[in-house]
Amino acid sequence: MNTPEGPARESLYLAHEKVYPREIDGRFARLRTLAVWVLLGIYYLLPWLQWGERQAVLFDLPARKFFILGLVFWPQDFIFLTWLLIIAALALFFFTAVGGRLWCGYACPQTVWTETFLWMERFAEGDRAARLKLDRGPWTAQKLARKSFKQFLWVTFALWTGFTFVGFFTPIRTLGASVLSFGLGPWELFWVLFYGFATYGNAGYLREQVCKYMCPYARFQSAMFDRDTLIITYDEERGEPRGARKRGSDPRSQGKGDCIDCTWCVQVCPTGIDIRKGLQIECIACAACIDACDSVMDKVGSPRGLIRYTTEHALKHEKTRFARPRTLIYGGLLAALTIGFMTAIALRSPVSLDVIRDRNALYRLTGDGHVDNVYTVRILNKSEREQRFTLEARGASALALLPHVAEYRVASGAVHSVPVRVRRAAYDPLGAETITFTLRSLDDPDVSTETEARFLGPAR
Amino acid sequence: MSAQPPADAAADLGARARATGAIVWSSFLAAALATMVCFAFIDPLSLANGEPPRWWSTRLNVYAVGFFFFWLVGFIAATLSWFLARRGTER
Repeated sequence: MNTPEGPARESLYLAHEKVYPREIDGRFARLRTLAVWVLLGIYYLLPWLQWGERQAVLFDLPARKFFILGLVFWPQDFIFLTWLLIIAALALFFFTAVGGRLWCGYACPQTVWTETFLWMERFAEGDRAARLKLDRGPWTAQKLARKSFKQFLWVTFALWTGFTFVGFFTPIRTLGASVLSFGLGPWELFWVLFYGFATYGNAGYLREQVCKYMCPYARFQSAMFDRDTLIITYDEERGEPRGARKRGSDPRSQGKGDCIDCTWCVQVCPTGIDIRKGLQIECIACAACIDACDSVMDKVGSPRGLIRYTTEHALKHEKTRFARPRTLIYGGLLAALTIGFMTAIALRSPVSLDVIRDRNALYRLTGDGHVDNVYTVRILNKSEREQRFTLEARGASALALLPHVAEYRVASGAVHSVPVRVRRAAYDPLGAETITFTLRSLDDPDVSTETEARFLGPAR
Repeated sequence: MSAQPPADAAADLGARARATGAIVWSSFLAAALATMVCFAFIDPLSLANGEPPRWWSTRLNVYAVGFFFFWLVGFIAATLSWFLARRGTER
Protein backbone atom coordinates (compact mmCIF):
# COMPACT_ATOMS: atom_id res chain seq x y z
CA MET A 1 0.00 0.00 0.00
CA ASN A 2 1.31 3.44 -0.80
CA THR A 3 1.58 5.86 2.04
CA PRO A 4 -0.48 8.90 1.21
CA GLU A 5 1.37 12.17 1.45
CA GLY A 6 0.43 15.10 3.66
CA PRO A 7 -1.75 15.17 6.73
CA ALA A 8 -3.42 11.85 5.91
CA ARG A 9 -0.12 10.14 6.68
CA GLU A 10 -0.55 10.54 10.44
CA SER A 11 -4.28 10.05 10.43
CA LEU A 12 -4.33 7.11 12.85
CA TYR A 13 -3.60 9.18 15.93
CA LEU A 14 -3.33 12.81 14.95
CA ALA A 15 -5.19 14.69 12.26
CA HIS A 16 -7.65 11.93 11.50
CA GLU A 17 -10.60 13.32 9.65
CA LYS A 18 -13.83 11.90 11.02
CA VAL A 19 -16.03 10.17 8.46
CA TYR A 20 -19.73 10.97 8.66
CA PRO A 21 -21.32 8.28 6.54
CA ARG A 22 -24.66 9.32 5.02
CA GLU A 23 -27.39 6.73 5.63
CA ILE A 24 -28.67 5.00 2.55
CA ASP A 25 -31.41 2.49 1.90
CA GLY A 26 -31.17 -0.11 -0.83
CA ARG A 27 -30.78 -3.78 -1.62
CA PHE A 28 -27.34 -4.15 -0.09
CA ALA A 29 -28.06 -1.99 2.95
CA ARG A 30 -31.02 -4.26 3.70
CA LEU A 31 -28.84 -7.32 3.22
CA ARG A 32 -26.35 -5.96 5.73
CA THR A 33 -29.11 -5.11 8.20
CA LEU A 34 -30.26 -8.70 7.92
CA ALA A 35 -26.70 -9.93 8.52
CA VAL A 36 -26.42 -7.67 11.58
CA TRP A 37 -29.63 -9.03 13.10
CA VAL A 38 -28.76 -12.66 12.41
CA LEU A 39 -25.13 -12.49 13.59
CA LEU A 40 -25.68 -10.31 16.63
CA GLY A 41 -28.82 -12.31 17.42
CA ILE A 42 -26.71 -15.46 17.54
CA TYR A 43 -24.03 -13.73 19.59
CA TYR A 44 -26.35 -12.25 22.23
CA LEU A 45 -28.81 -15.14 22.53
CA LEU A 46 -26.59 -18.21 22.22
CA PRO A 47 -25.19 -18.13 25.78
CA TRP A 48 -28.75 -18.15 27.16
CA LEU A 49 -29.62 -21.37 25.38
CA GLN A 50 -29.77 -24.42 27.65
CA TRP A 51 -28.91 -28.01 26.72
CA GLY A 52 -30.40 -30.30 29.34
CA GLU A 53 -28.94 -29.23 32.68
CA ARG A 54 -26.16 -27.06 31.29
CA GLN A 55 -25.49 -24.11 29.01
CA ALA A 56 -25.59 -25.21 25.37
CA VAL A 57 -22.43 -23.38 24.32
CA LEU A 58 -19.86 -22.90 27.05
CA PHE A 59 -16.08 -22.71 26.86
CA ASP A 60 -15.23 -23.74 30.39
CA LEU A 61 -11.56 -22.75 30.63
CA PRO A 62 -11.08 -23.47 34.36
CA ALA A 63 -12.38 -27.02 33.89
CA ARG A 64 -10.66 -27.39 30.49
CA LYS A 65 -13.86 -28.51 28.73
CA PHE A 66 -15.73 -27.02 25.78
CA PHE A 67 -19.46 -27.68 25.48
CA ILE A 68 -21.03 -27.16 22.06
CA LEU A 69 -24.64 -28.33 21.98
CA GLY A 70 -24.51 -32.10 22.53
CA LEU A 71 -20.73 -32.36 22.19
CA VAL A 72 -18.03 -32.07 24.84
CA PHE A 73 -14.47 -31.32 23.79
CA TRP A 74 -11.39 -31.99 25.90
CA PRO A 75 -7.87 -30.64 25.51
CA GLN A 76 -7.07 -33.94 23.73
CA ASP A 77 -9.50 -32.85 21.01
CA PHE A 78 -7.40 -29.81 20.20
CA ILE A 79 -6.87 -31.22 16.71
CA PHE A 80 -10.54 -30.48 15.99
CA LEU A 81 -10.11 -26.83 16.87
CA THR A 82 -7.05 -26.60 14.62
CA TRP A 83 -8.97 -28.36 11.90
CA LEU A 84 -11.89 -25.97 12.31
CA LEU A 85 -9.60 -22.94 12.08
CA ILE A 86 -8.04 -24.29 8.87
CA ILE A 87 -11.56 -24.79 7.44
CA ALA A 88 -12.47 -21.23 8.43
CA ALA A 89 -9.33 -19.86 6.76
CA LEU A 90 -9.97 -21.83 3.57
CA ALA A 91 -13.59 -20.71 3.51
CA LEU A 92 -12.36 -17.13 3.76
CA PHE A 93 -9.93 -17.72 0.85
CA PHE A 94 -12.63 -19.36 -1.24
CA PHE A 95 -15.27 -16.69 -0.72
CA THR A 96 -12.70 -13.94 -1.24
CA ALA A 97 -11.58 -15.46 -4.54
CA VAL A 98 -15.20 -15.73 -5.73
CA GLY A 99 -16.94 -12.74 -4.19
CA GLY A 100 -14.22 -10.35 -3.06
CA ARG A 101 -14.43 -8.82 0.39
CA LEU A 102 -17.83 -10.27 1.27
CA TRP A 103 -16.56 -10.95 4.77
CA CYS A 104 -15.67 -7.30 5.34
CA GLY A 105 -18.92 -5.93 3.96
CA TYR A 106 -21.40 -8.14 5.74
CA ALA A 107 -19.99 -10.53 8.34
CA CYS A 108 -16.95 -9.02 10.07
CA PRO A 109 -17.67 -8.16 13.73
CA GLN A 110 -16.06 -4.77 13.12
CA THR A 111 -18.60 -4.00 10.38
CA VAL A 112 -21.53 -5.45 12.29
CA TRP A 113 -20.86 -3.59 15.53
CA THR A 114 -19.95 -0.37 13.75
CA GLU A 115 -23.31 -0.56 12.00
CA THR A 116 -25.20 -0.86 15.31
CA PHE A 117 -23.15 1.96 16.83
CA LEU A 118 -24.04 4.11 13.82
CA TRP A 119 -27.72 3.31 14.34
CA MET A 120 -27.45 4.50 17.94
CA GLU A 121 -25.55 7.60 16.82
CA ARG A 122 -28.25 8.40 14.28
CA PHE A 123 -30.98 7.80 16.83
CA ALA A 124 -29.39 10.20 19.30
CA GLU A 125 -27.86 12.84 17.01
CA GLY A 126 -29.87 12.67 13.80
CA ASP A 127 -28.81 12.14 10.18
CA ARG A 128 -25.52 13.07 8.52
CA ALA A 129 -26.28 16.75 8.05
CA ALA A 130 -27.55 17.09 11.62
CA ARG A 131 -24.46 15.32 13.01
CA LEU A 132 -22.10 17.55 11.00
CA LYS A 133 -23.92 20.64 12.20
CA LEU A 134 -23.97 19.41 15.78
CA ASP A 135 -20.24 18.69 15.82
CA ARG A 136 -19.33 22.06 14.29
CA GLY A 137 -21.67 24.03 16.50
CA PRO A 138 -20.90 25.34 20.01
CA TRP A 139 -21.59 23.34 23.15
CA THR A 140 -25.21 24.07 23.93
CA ALA A 141 -27.46 22.30 26.41
CA GLN A 142 -29.08 20.49 23.50
CA LYS A 143 -25.73 19.30 22.13
CA LEU A 144 -24.72 18.11 25.59
CA ALA A 145 -27.99 16.25 25.98
CA ARG A 146 -27.71 14.55 22.60
CA LYS A 147 -24.08 13.60 23.10
CA SER A 148 -24.76 12.27 26.61
CA PHE A 149 -27.67 10.24 25.34
CA LYS A 150 -25.46 8.72 22.62
CA GLN A 151 -22.76 7.90 25.17
CA PHE A 152 -25.34 6.32 27.43
CA LEU A 153 -26.58 4.08 24.58
CA TRP A 154 -23.04 3.19 23.51
CA VAL A 155 -21.74 2.42 26.99
CA THR A 156 -24.78 0.34 27.93
CA PHE A 157 -24.60 -1.64 24.72
CA ALA A 158 -20.82 -2.11 25.04
CA LEU A 159 -21.14 -3.36 28.63
CA TRP A 160 -23.86 -5.77 27.61
CA THR A 161 -21.57 -6.96 24.81
CA GLY A 162 -18.71 -7.52 27.28
CA PHE A 163 -21.05 -9.33 29.66
CA THR A 164 -22.23 -11.61 26.85
CA PHE A 165 -18.64 -12.32 25.84
CA VAL A 166 -17.74 -13.47 29.34
CA GLY A 167 -20.99 -15.47 29.34
CA PHE A 168 -19.43 -17.78 26.77
CA PHE A 169 -16.75 -18.72 29.32
CA THR A 170 -18.62 -18.53 32.64
CA PRO A 171 -22.21 -19.81 32.91
CA ILE A 172 -24.15 -16.68 31.95
CA ARG A 173 -27.05 -17.19 34.35
CA THR A 174 -24.73 -17.38 37.36
CA LEU A 175 -22.78 -14.47 35.91
CA GLY A 176 -25.97 -12.42 35.63
CA ALA A 177 -26.81 -13.18 39.26
CA SER A 178 -23.35 -12.09 40.41
CA VAL A 179 -23.62 -8.86 38.42
CA LEU A 180 -26.91 -8.09 40.15
CA SER A 181 -25.39 -8.77 43.57
CA PHE A 182 -22.09 -6.94 42.73
CA GLY A 183 -20.25 -10.22 43.25
CA LEU A 184 -18.25 -10.49 40.02
CA GLY A 185 -14.85 -12.13 40.33
CA PRO A 186 -11.83 -9.97 39.43
CA TRP A 187 -11.16 -11.75 36.11
CA GLU A 188 -14.80 -11.70 35.10
CA LEU A 189 -15.02 -7.98 35.83
CA PHE A 190 -11.76 -7.36 33.98
CA TRP A 191 -12.89 -9.18 30.83
CA VAL A 192 -16.38 -7.61 30.84
CA LEU A 193 -14.76 -4.17 30.96
CA PHE A 194 -11.97 -5.09 28.54
CA TYR A 195 -14.27 -6.49 25.88
CA GLY A 196 -16.82 -3.76 26.47
CA PHE A 197 -14.15 -1.11 26.09
CA ALA A 198 -12.80 -2.76 22.94
CA THR A 199 -16.28 -2.76 21.41
CA TYR A 200 -16.86 0.87 22.42
CA GLY A 201 -13.54 2.04 21.04
CA ASN A 202 -13.55 0.00 17.84
CA ALA A 203 -17.19 0.48 16.85
CA GLY A 204 -17.66 3.96 18.25
CA TYR A 205 -14.42 5.72 17.39
CA LEU A 206 -11.85 3.74 15.41
CA ARG A 207 -14.35 2.32 12.90
CA GLU A 208 -12.84 2.26 9.39
CA GLN A 209 -9.35 2.82 10.83
CA VAL A 210 -9.44 -0.73 12.22
CA CYS A 211 -9.88 -1.96 8.64
CA LYS A 212 -7.25 0.40 7.28
CA TYR A 213 -4.50 0.03 9.86
CA MET A 214 -5.15 -2.94 12.13
CA CYS A 215 -6.69 -5.69 10.08
CA PRO A 216 -4.26 -8.31 8.73
CA TYR A 217 -6.90 -9.70 6.36
CA ALA A 218 -7.28 -6.32 4.65
CA ARG A 219 -3.57 -6.45 3.83
CA PHE A 220 -3.41 -9.91 2.31
CA GLN A 221 -6.86 -10.30 0.80
CA SER A 222 -5.63 -8.91 -2.52
CA ALA A 223 -3.51 -12.06 -2.89
CA MET A 224 -6.75 -14.04 -3.37
CA PHE A 225 -8.07 -11.65 -6.02
CA ASP A 226 -7.87 -12.22 -9.74
CA ARG A 227 -9.60 -10.81 -12.79
CA ASP A 228 -12.66 -12.99 -12.19
CA THR A 229 -13.24 -11.91 -8.59
CA LEU A 230 -16.33 -9.85 -7.84
CA ILE A 231 -15.35 -6.29 -7.02
CA ILE A 232 -17.36 -3.14 -6.49
CA THR A 233 -16.40 -0.74 -9.18
CA TYR A 234 -17.39 2.38 -11.02
CA ASP A 235 -17.98 1.92 -14.73
CA GLU A 236 -15.66 4.63 -15.98
CA GLU A 237 -16.47 3.92 -19.61
CA ARG A 238 -20.14 4.67 -18.96
CA GLY A 239 -19.78 7.41 -16.38
CA GLU A 240 -17.15 9.72 -17.84
CA PRO A 241 -16.93 12.58 -18.52
CA ARG A 242 -18.96 13.29 -15.42
CA GLY A 243 -20.99 16.42 -14.86
CA ALA A 244 -24.36 17.88 -13.92
CA ARG A 245 -27.19 17.81 -16.43
CA LYS A 246 -30.93 18.36 -16.59
CA ARG A 247 -33.16 15.59 -15.30
CA GLY A 248 -34.18 13.21 -18.06
CA SER A 249 -31.86 14.80 -20.63
CA ASP A 250 -29.64 12.52 -22.68
CA PRO A 251 -26.05 12.82 -21.44
CA ARG A 252 -24.53 11.52 -24.66
CA SER A 253 -26.01 14.36 -26.74
CA GLN A 254 -24.29 16.79 -24.35
CA GLY A 255 -21.01 14.92 -24.65
CA LYS A 256 -21.29 13.66 -21.06
CA GLY A 257 -21.28 10.28 -19.32
CA ASP A 258 -23.91 8.97 -16.91
CA CYS A 259 -22.22 10.21 -13.73
CA ILE A 260 -23.82 13.46 -12.59
CA ASP A 261 -21.09 14.03 -10.00
CA CYS A 262 -23.56 14.23 -7.11
CA THR A 263 -20.89 12.70 -4.78
CA TRP A 264 -23.43 10.55 -2.97
CA CYS A 265 -21.15 7.54 -3.42
CA VAL A 266 -18.47 9.44 -1.49
CA GLN A 267 -20.84 10.65 1.23
CA VAL A 268 -22.18 7.17 2.07
CA CYS A 269 -18.75 5.54 2.15
CA PRO A 270 -17.89 4.38 5.69
CA THR A 271 -14.17 4.53 4.87
CA GLY A 272 -14.42 7.93 3.18
CA ILE A 273 -13.02 7.03 -0.24
CA ASP A 274 -14.12 7.92 -3.76
CA ILE A 275 -14.94 4.68 -5.57
CA ARG A 276 -14.64 6.52 -8.90
CA LYS A 277 -10.87 6.62 -8.44
CA GLY A 278 -10.77 2.85 -8.93
CA LEU A 279 -10.29 -0.15 -6.64
CA GLN A 280 -8.66 0.93 -3.38
CA ILE A 281 -7.32 -1.02 -0.41
CA GLU A 282 -9.59 0.94 1.94
CA CYS A 283 -12.75 -0.35 0.22
CA ILE A 284 -14.46 -2.89 2.47
CA ALA A 285 -16.98 -3.80 -0.22
CA CYS A 286 -19.98 -2.73 1.83
CA ALA A 287 -21.84 -1.74 -1.39
CA ALA A 288 -23.26 1.45 0.17
CA CYS A 289 -22.08 3.34 -2.93
CA ILE A 290 -24.01 0.92 -5.15
CA ASP A 291 -27.21 1.61 -3.23
CA ALA A 292 -26.55 5.36 -3.36
CA CYS A 293 -25.75 5.43 -7.08
CA ASP A 294 -28.69 3.18 -7.97
CA SER A 295 -31.12 5.48 -6.20
CA VAL A 296 -29.65 8.51 -7.98
CA MET A 297 -29.73 6.78 -11.37
CA ASP A 298 -33.41 5.96 -10.73
CA LYS A 299 -34.07 9.64 -10.07
CA VAL A 300 -32.30 10.99 -13.15
CA GLY A 301 -33.82 8.26 -15.31
CA SER A 302 -30.65 6.39 -16.26
CA PRO A 303 -30.23 2.63 -15.93
CA ARG A 304 -28.85 1.31 -12.63
CA GLY A 305 -25.42 -0.20 -12.28
CA LEU A 306 -23.05 2.70 -12.93
CA ILE A 307 -21.41 1.46 -9.74
CA ARG A 308 -21.92 -2.29 -9.38
CA TYR A 309 -20.57 -5.69 -8.45
CA THR A 310 -18.61 -6.87 -11.42
CA THR A 311 -15.25 -8.38 -12.39
CA GLU A 312 -12.26 -6.94 -14.18
CA HIS A 313 -12.89 -9.30 -17.06
CA ALA A 314 -16.51 -8.19 -17.37
CA LEU A 315 -15.47 -4.54 -17.36
CA LYS A 316 -13.27 -5.26 -20.37
CA HIS A 317 -16.18 -7.05 -22.05
CA GLU A 318 -14.53 -10.41 -21.57
CA LYS A 319 -16.05 -13.57 -20.15
CA THR A 320 -15.99 -14.08 -16.38
CA ARG A 321 -15.13 -17.64 -15.39
CA PHE A 322 -16.34 -18.90 -12.05
CA ALA A 323 -14.60 -22.27 -12.37
CA ARG A 324 -10.88 -21.59 -12.54
CA PRO A 325 -7.86 -23.30 -10.92
CA ARG A 326 -7.95 -20.98 -7.90
CA THR A 327 -11.60 -21.53 -7.02
CA LEU A 328 -11.44 -25.24 -7.85
CA ILE A 329 -8.45 -25.79 -5.55
CA TYR A 330 -9.84 -23.69 -2.68
CA GLY A 331 -13.30 -25.21 -3.11
CA GLY A 332 -12.03 -28.77 -3.40
CA LEU A 333 -9.83 -28.48 -0.31
CA LEU A 334 -12.66 -26.82 1.59
CA ALA A 335 -15.15 -29.55 0.72
CA ALA A 336 -12.71 -32.36 1.52
CA LEU A 337 -11.71 -30.88 4.88
CA THR A 338 -15.32 -30.16 5.85
CA ILE A 339 -16.47 -33.69 5.06
CA GLY A 340 -13.46 -35.12 6.87
CA PHE A 341 -14.16 -32.91 9.88
CA MET A 342 -17.82 -33.96 10.12
CA THR A 343 -16.88 -37.63 9.81
CA ALA A 344 -14.17 -37.37 12.43
CA ILE A 345 -16.54 -35.63 14.87
CA ALA A 346 -19.19 -38.30 14.30
CA LEU A 347 -16.72 -41.14 14.79
CA ARG A 348 -14.93 -39.57 17.74
CA SER A 349 -14.29 -42.16 20.45
CA PRO A 350 -15.54 -41.13 23.88
CA VAL A 351 -12.57 -42.82 25.49
CA SER A 352 -8.85 -42.76 24.87
CA LEU A 353 -6.09 -45.06 26.01
CA ASP A 354 -2.37 -44.36 26.21
CA VAL A 355 0.16 -47.02 27.06
CA ILE A 356 3.70 -45.94 27.88
CA ARG A 357 6.49 -48.47 28.47
CA ASP A 358 8.50 -48.06 31.62
CA ARG A 359 11.70 -46.37 30.52
CA ASN A 360 13.86 -47.67 33.37
CA ALA A 361 13.79 -51.41 32.74
CA LEU A 362 13.82 -53.43 29.51
CA TYR A 363 12.28 -56.56 31.01
CA ARG A 364 12.53 -58.71 34.09
CA LEU A 365 12.82 -62.48 34.17
CA THR A 366 10.98 -64.14 37.01
CA GLY A 367 12.28 -67.27 38.71
CA ASP A 368 9.47 -69.46 37.37
CA GLY A 369 10.07 -69.07 33.62
CA HIS A 370 8.13 -65.88 32.92
CA VAL A 371 9.08 -62.42 31.67
CA ASP A 372 7.54 -59.14 32.90
CA ASN A 373 7.25 -55.74 31.22
CA VAL A 374 5.99 -52.67 33.09
CA TYR A 375 3.75 -50.01 31.52
CA THR A 376 1.87 -46.94 32.60
CA VAL A 377 -1.69 -47.06 31.33
CA ARG A 378 -3.68 -43.82 31.04
CA ILE A 379 -7.44 -44.04 30.56
CA LEU A 380 -9.32 -40.85 29.65
CA ASN A 381 -13.10 -40.85 29.90
CA LYS A 382 -14.37 -38.14 27.54
CA SER A 383 -18.05 -39.04 27.98
CA GLU A 384 -20.34 -37.10 30.26
CA ARG A 385 -20.78 -39.82 32.91
CA GLU A 386 -18.68 -42.17 35.00
CA GLN A 387 -17.79 -45.44 33.29
CA ARG A 388 -16.33 -48.79 34.30
CA PHE A 389 -13.72 -50.30 32.02
CA THR A 390 -11.97 -53.62 31.59
CA LEU A 391 -8.46 -53.85 30.24
CA GLU A 392 -6.84 -56.79 28.51
CA ALA A 393 -3.68 -57.43 26.53
CA ARG A 394 -3.20 -59.75 23.56
CA GLY A 395 0.02 -61.05 22.07
CA ALA A 396 1.39 -64.10 20.22
CA SER A 397 0.97 -66.17 23.40
CA ALA A 398 -1.12 -65.81 26.53
CA LEU A 399 -0.53 -62.56 28.46
CA ALA A 400 -1.51 -61.81 32.03
CA LEU A 401 -2.07 -58.36 33.53
CA LEU A 402 -0.79 -57.90 37.06
CA PRO A 403 -2.18 -57.03 39.46
CA HIS A 404 -5.51 -58.31 38.23
CA VAL A 405 -8.12 -55.55 38.36
CA ALA A 406 -11.72 -56.49 37.58
CA GLU A 407 -12.74 -52.99 36.54
CA TYR A 408 -11.38 -49.46 36.40
CA ARG A 409 -13.79 -46.76 37.47
CA VAL A 410 -13.13 -43.47 35.71
CA ALA A 411 -15.18 -40.34 36.41
CA SER A 412 -16.46 -38.17 33.59
CA GLY A 413 -13.63 -36.16 32.16
CA ALA A 414 -11.05 -37.76 34.41
CA VAL A 415 -7.73 -39.33 33.51
CA HIS A 416 -6.95 -42.56 35.31
CA SER A 417 -3.26 -43.40 35.37
CA VAL A 418 -2.20 -46.82 36.62
CA PRO A 419 0.99 -48.94 36.49
CA VAL A 420 0.50 -52.39 34.97
CA ARG A 421 2.78 -55.40 34.68
CA VAL A 422 2.34 -57.73 31.71
CA ARG A 423 3.60 -61.30 32.13
CA ARG A 424 4.12 -64.08 29.60
CA ALA A 425 6.18 -67.23 29.16
CA ALA A 426 9.83 -66.20 28.87
CA TYR A 427 10.71 -67.98 25.57
CA ASP A 428 7.35 -68.11 23.77
CA PRO A 429 7.77 -66.26 21.45
CA LEU A 430 11.47 -65.44 21.51
CA GLY A 431 12.49 -61.78 21.75
CA ALA A 432 10.35 -58.72 21.28
CA GLU A 433 6.81 -58.51 19.92
CA THR A 434 4.02 -55.98 19.48
CA ILE A 435 1.10 -56.50 21.83
CA THR A 436 -2.37 -54.93 21.79
CA PHE A 437 -4.16 -53.41 24.76
CA THR A 438 -7.95 -53.34 24.55
CA LEU A 439 -10.12 -51.16 26.74
CA ARG A 440 -13.85 -51.93 26.90
CA SER A 441 -16.61 -50.10 28.67
CA LEU A 442 -18.85 -52.23 30.88
CA ASP A 443 -21.57 -49.58 30.75
CA ASP A 444 -21.68 -49.08 27.01
CA PRO A 445 -20.88 -52.13 24.84
CA ASP A 446 -20.22 -49.90 21.81
CA VAL A 447 -17.35 -48.09 23.50
CA SER A 448 -13.94 -49.67 23.18
CA THR A 449 -10.51 -48.68 22.00
CA GLU A 450 -7.20 -50.36 21.26
CA THR A 451 -3.61 -49.31 21.38
CA GLU A 452 -0.36 -51.11 20.62
CA ALA A 453 2.85 -51.33 22.61
CA ARG A 454 6.21 -53.11 22.36
CA PHE A 455 6.85 -56.04 24.65
CA LEU A 456 10.51 -57.02 25.19
CA GLY A 457 11.75 -60.46 26.08
CA PRO A 458 14.99 -62.51 25.98
CA ALA A 459 16.11 -63.34 22.42
CA ARG A 460 17.51 -66.76 23.40
CA MET B 1 17.90 11.89 19.68
CA SER B 2 18.87 15.47 18.91
CA ALA B 3 17.81 18.49 20.96
CA GLN B 4 16.58 20.22 17.82
CA PRO B 5 13.41 18.48 16.67
CA PRO B 6 13.32 17.79 12.94
CA ALA B 7 11.08 19.95 10.78
CA ASP B 8 8.63 17.13 10.22
CA ALA B 9 8.35 16.28 13.92
CA ALA B 10 4.61 15.81 13.66
CA ALA B 11 4.91 13.41 10.74
CA ASP B 12 7.70 11.55 12.55
CA LEU B 13 5.55 11.20 15.66
CA GLY B 14 2.75 9.90 13.48
CA ALA B 15 4.94 7.21 11.96
CA ARG B 16 6.26 6.30 15.39
CA ALA B 17 2.79 6.12 16.89
CA ARG B 18 1.63 4.00 14.01
CA ALA B 19 4.57 1.62 14.43
CA THR B 20 3.81 1.35 18.16
CA GLY B 21 0.21 0.51 17.35
CA ALA B 22 1.23 -2.15 14.85
CA ILE B 23 3.73 -3.67 17.30
CA VAL B 24 1.28 -3.81 20.22
CA TRP B 25 -1.52 -5.15 18.06
CA SER B 26 0.46 -7.82 16.17
CA SER B 27 2.05 -9.11 19.37
CA PHE B 28 -1.42 -9.22 20.95
CA LEU B 29 -2.67 -11.45 18.14
CA ALA B 30 0.41 -13.67 18.37
CA ALA B 31 0.02 -13.90 22.17
CA ALA B 32 -3.62 -14.94 21.82
CA LEU B 33 -2.60 -17.71 19.43
CA ALA B 34 0.33 -18.83 21.58
CA THR B 35 -1.82 -18.92 24.73
CA MET B 36 -4.45 -20.99 23.00
CA VAL B 37 -2.05 -23.57 21.60
CA CYS B 38 0.16 -23.72 24.68
CA PHE B 39 -2.60 -24.26 27.22
CA ALA B 40 -4.51 -26.65 24.98
CA PHE B 41 -1.60 -29.05 25.35
CA ILE B 42 -0.42 -28.17 28.85
CA ASP B 43 -2.58 -28.20 31.94
CA PRO B 44 -0.93 -25.63 34.21
CA LEU B 45 -1.98 -27.48 37.36
CA SER B 46 -0.09 -30.58 36.25
CA LEU B 47 3.11 -28.52 36.07
CA ALA B 48 2.91 -27.19 39.60
CA ASN B 49 5.41 -29.58 41.19
CA GLY B 50 7.35 -28.62 44.25
CA GLU B 51 6.29 -25.35 45.83
CA PRO B 52 4.51 -23.26 43.17
CA PRO B 53 4.06 -19.53 43.78
CA ARG B 54 0.76 -18.40 45.25
CA TRP B 55 -0.66 -17.04 41.98
CA TRP B 56 -0.26 -20.50 40.45
CA SER B 57 -3.23 -21.68 42.53
CA THR B 58 -5.88 -21.47 39.80
CA ARG B 59 -5.74 -22.23 36.10
CA LEU B 60 -7.21 -18.84 35.18
CA ASN B 61 -4.34 -17.08 36.92
CA VAL B 62 -1.77 -19.12 35.02
CA TYR B 63 -3.60 -18.56 31.73
CA ALA B 64 -3.59 -14.81 32.33
CA VAL B 65 0.07 -14.66 33.37
CA GLY B 66 0.94 -16.86 30.38
CA PHE B 67 -0.94 -14.55 28.06
CA PHE B 68 0.82 -11.43 29.29
CA PHE B 69 4.16 -13.25 29.14
CA PHE B 70 3.57 -14.21 25.50
CA TRP B 71 2.46 -10.67 24.77
CA LEU B 72 5.73 -9.34 26.23
CA VAL B 73 7.82 -11.79 24.20
CA GLY B 74 5.92 -10.88 21.02
CA PHE B 75 6.30 -7.20 21.82
CA ILE B 76 10.07 -7.56 22.20
CA ALA B 77 10.37 -9.51 18.94
CA ALA B 78 8.21 -7.06 16.98
CA THR B 79 10.02 -4.04 18.41
CA LEU B 80 13.41 -5.52 17.53
CA SER B 81 12.24 -6.33 14.01
CA TRP B 82 10.97 -2.81 13.55
CA PHE B 83 14.16 -1.35 14.96
CA LEU B 84 16.48 -3.45 12.80
CA ALA B 85 14.48 -2.94 9.62
CA ARG B 86 14.34 0.79 10.26
CA ARG B 87 18.04 1.19 10.95
CA GLY B 88 18.86 -0.70 7.79
CA THR B 89 16.92 1.57 5.48
CA GLU B 90 16.53 4.97 7.10
CA ARG B 91 19.72 5.80 8.92
